[in-house]
This record gives sequence, structure tokens and C-alpha cells, in this order.
Amino acid sequence: MAGPFAARFVAPAFLIALLALWQIATRFDHPDFILGPLEVARHFVEALWSGELLPHVGASLGRSLPGFMVGSLLGVVLGLLAGVARSLDQLLSPVVFLTYPVPKIVFLPIVMLWVGIGDVSKIAVIALACFYPCFINAYYGARGTSTIMVWSGLNLGARRSQIFRKVVVPSALPLVFAGLRVSLALSFILLFSTEMINARSGLGFLIRQSESSLRFDLMYVAIVAVAVLGYAGDQLLLLVRRRVLAWQDASVR
Amino acid sequence: MSVGRREPAAGFRRVALPAAGVILWETAARSGLFSPLIVPPVTRIGYQLWLLATQPESLVEAWYSVARGLGGFALAAVVGAALGVVMGRSALAAACLGPIFSGTYPIPKIALFPIFIYLFGIGSLSKVLLVFLECLYPIVITTQSGGRAVNRVLVWSAANMGASRARILWSVVLPATAPFIFAGFRIAMPIAMVVVIITEMISSADGLGYLVMYSLASFKTDRMLAVVLVIALVGVALDRLVVSLRNRLVFWERLETYYAE
Repeated sequence: MAGPFAARFVAPAFLIALLALWQIATRFDHPDFILGPLEVARHFVEALWSGELLPHVGASLGRSLPGFMVGSLLGVVLGLLAGVARSLDQLLSPVVFLTYPVPKIVFLPIVMLWVGIGDVSKIAVIALACFYPCFINAYYGARGTSTIMVWSGLNLGARRSQIFRKVVVPSALPLVFAGLRVSLALSFILLFSTEMINARSGLGFLIRQSESSLRFDLMYVAIVAVAVLGYAGDQLLLLVRRRVLAWQDASVR
Repeated sequence: MSVGRREPAAGFRRVALPAAGVILWETAARSGLFSPLIVPPVTRIGYQLWLLATQPESLVEAWYSVARGLGGFALAAVVGAALGVVMGRSALAAACLGPIFSGTYPIPKIALFPIFIYLFGIGSLSKVLLVFLECLYPIVITTQSGGRAVNRVLVWSAANMGASRARILWSVVLPATAPFIFAGFRIAMPIAMVVVIITEMISSADGLGYLVMYSLASFKTDRMLAVVLVIALVGVALDRLVVSLRNRLVFWERLETYYAE
């Protein structure tokens, strides 16, 4: 393994070299739809001040956050319960595991048909997609609880609810966070695809609209905003994870 | 917590939820409360499914989707496994590429689709490359963690017995990493289908994703639901393909899948 010194300097140097190469490449003859990193940064700041960007960011977050919350909450709770209760396991797991490889975006037209073309259908599809990774990870997390821990808990006179709260849930938490991380990334993918398919606001809509009106500066700005949002959300989740799982040596970058 | 214990009620419980769903759907459709446009009866969906399965032109649409998905996936599988093994075994490669992969991992690559259309055209190439890009990440990341976890004693003993670096990579590292590579494949395969369907829904004139949007736009909801079912079946079939390939190649370590019993 590289030492901390090398790891700290090689990666930024590599990144800067890539960006510099890109910037230099745009000095030469190139099509309109390719912008250099400096231009993109300038347009980004401009769009931030002119108010072209922020309403769309708000609209996107207003769809992705409720979807992520509802889907992952349902997934974690049901997954944990299915991991400990055999009747629920037999009822839910076959359906969940069989429909897991199905691309959830195909349900967008159906949901659109039922609840209309507005935000609710997008939130519902995002929630549906976020449900699966959370359910599966929470399920395996709960099932992976060390039997000895459960026995010792029972032996010490803990009630079933206490065992669930104090033994099963903590030992499932690392996997639950892994599931949440996957769900968060998925929620952004689903958000932008639903917005690209049909929406009148949001970053996905902004990307499509600026693309078709040949405003490539705005398109790049929207893409950068997407990237920033995805990255920030992931970092936030990792921060929470470090807080919650302080007792576990979480060596996640 | 036991894995496969059977009870008399277990078989019933397994099918209870799907069966209840179908019955509920059919009664809702027959009750006359909803327009058949919104809740078409199961029988009509089944009829459309039959039409889809027997008409050559709809099979061609399915073939387009599967070919795009598998093409991008195969590209990502080869490049991703190679990159992942190199990153798992070489500190320099890990230091250069690792932060780029982990930093751009949470960014939805689908946002690049418009640029891809400009760069590679509106046909299959832009879709295949987007599938490649999205599939690359899980494969590289899981392969890298597998490459790191190769038992050192095995590498040392191979080196001790005079194996060259290439030989060690091929005969020790690669088999030891194979379970991780396939874990990455299993994550990537559904993603490949998601990206294909999404890109076809956004801009395409062929493929299953296009068929969904086309059926919806022409108010043939029974047909749309049948296409959704086909997409679901394709997704399940591809996943089982990966699992069976894995169990054949990584024969020394069976995967516990839920429906492989």
C-alpha cells in the first residue's frame, strides 16, 4: 500500500493533470459542445448568481429527498423485521428478491397513469427504487446477527423487543448504512431520469432543455450541479455513518 | 437464524403475496370502478404478452435492448475487472485512480447522456457507452477490494516456487478475486438494464424502453404493462445468467442466492 504521503499527493496531482489536459485540449479547434473546466466554473458561478440554477436544485431536492426518505425507511424497517420474523420473511422475501433485478424506472409510466404526471409519481418511483437496496441489506444485516449474542441476551433475561433494539439493530447497522449509500446514489439516478423523461423543473429538465436549446454552458452547469449534489449527499451520509458507527472502525473514505 | 427450514405453511406464504396481488388487480379491473385504461384486466395483459412473445418485430425490440445492455456490460466487465485487479495489486494505480473512482462514484453518470448524444450520436453507441460507464464503477470497486484481500501466503508461496509476476496474477490473484468480480457483475447487471431502459425512454426509436413510452403515448396500457413484464423477466433472466455463470466458474464456493434452491 502507498504511504499516506503518496496517497495524499498523487491523487490530486493526477486530477489536476487531467483537468489541465482538458483545458489545454480546448485551446485547439473543437466543437461547440465541449467547454473547458475554467469556462464551466465561470458559467457555474454566473448561473448561481443569476438565479437560473437554484430553483431547479430546489425542485430536484424536493423530489429526491422525500422519495429517498420514504423508500429507505420502509426498506430498512421491513428488511429488519423480515430478518427476524420468519412469517414475514416468507411473505416478503420471495417477492422482493425476485423483483430486485427489475429496472424500477419501468414503473414510472404505470405510476404516472395512476397518480398523474406531477411530482408524486416521481417520488413514488424514487421511493420504490430506494426500497430494494435498503431492504436487502437490512435483511442480511439482521440475519447475520451473531446467534451467541442473541442467546446471551436471552439468557440475561432480555425481552424480544429489547433483543431487537439492542442486539439485532446495532449489529445490522453497518450493512444498513451500506444499503442507504446505494439507495442514495440510486435516488439521484432515478431523479434525473424521471426529470429527463417528463418534468417542467429540476436539474434533469434543465439539462435536457439547455441541451435542446443549444445552451451548452447551462447544460454543463446543471451537470456540475448534479455531480456536486451527489457528492455532497454521499459525504453527508458518510459523516452520519461515522457518528452513528463510532464504535465500529469504519475505514471508509 | 436458520436458512432453509421448511414448514407446511411456508410454501403457501411464499406465493400468498403475489397471488393476492393478482386477485386484487383482477377484481379492481372487473369491478368497473376504474377505467380499463388505468387498470386493464390481467387477461388482456396476458394476451398482449402472448402477442409480444410471438411477433417477430417485438422480439427484435427486445433484442435491441438486450444487445445494448449486454454490450455495455461486457465492455465494463473486461475493463472493470482488469482495472480493479490492477488497482487492488498496485499501490500506485490505487493512489492515482482510487480517489477518482470513489469521488465520482455517487455522481449519477446518466446526467452525461446529452453530452454522450452529441459526442457519439443518438444511436446505440451513446447508450452502450453510458451503460459501460455506469457498470464500470461497481465492478472496479468490488474487484479492487477483492484484489486487496488476496491471501498473502498464497502469493508468497507462489513467488517462492518461482512463479513469474504474470503467472501469479493469472493463477493466484485472478481466481482469488473471482468471487468479488462476480459480486460486482451482479450489482452491475441490473444497472445495465436500468440505463438501457432509461436511455431508450428518453431518446430512442427502438428497444423495450421506447416500446413502453410508445404504448403509453398511444393509450395501450395493457400493452405497456406487458412490456414492463417482459423487461422484468429479462432482468431476472440476466441476473440468473450471471449467477449460474458464477457458480460454474467459481465452483469451489457456492453463492447463496434466494431463488437458486
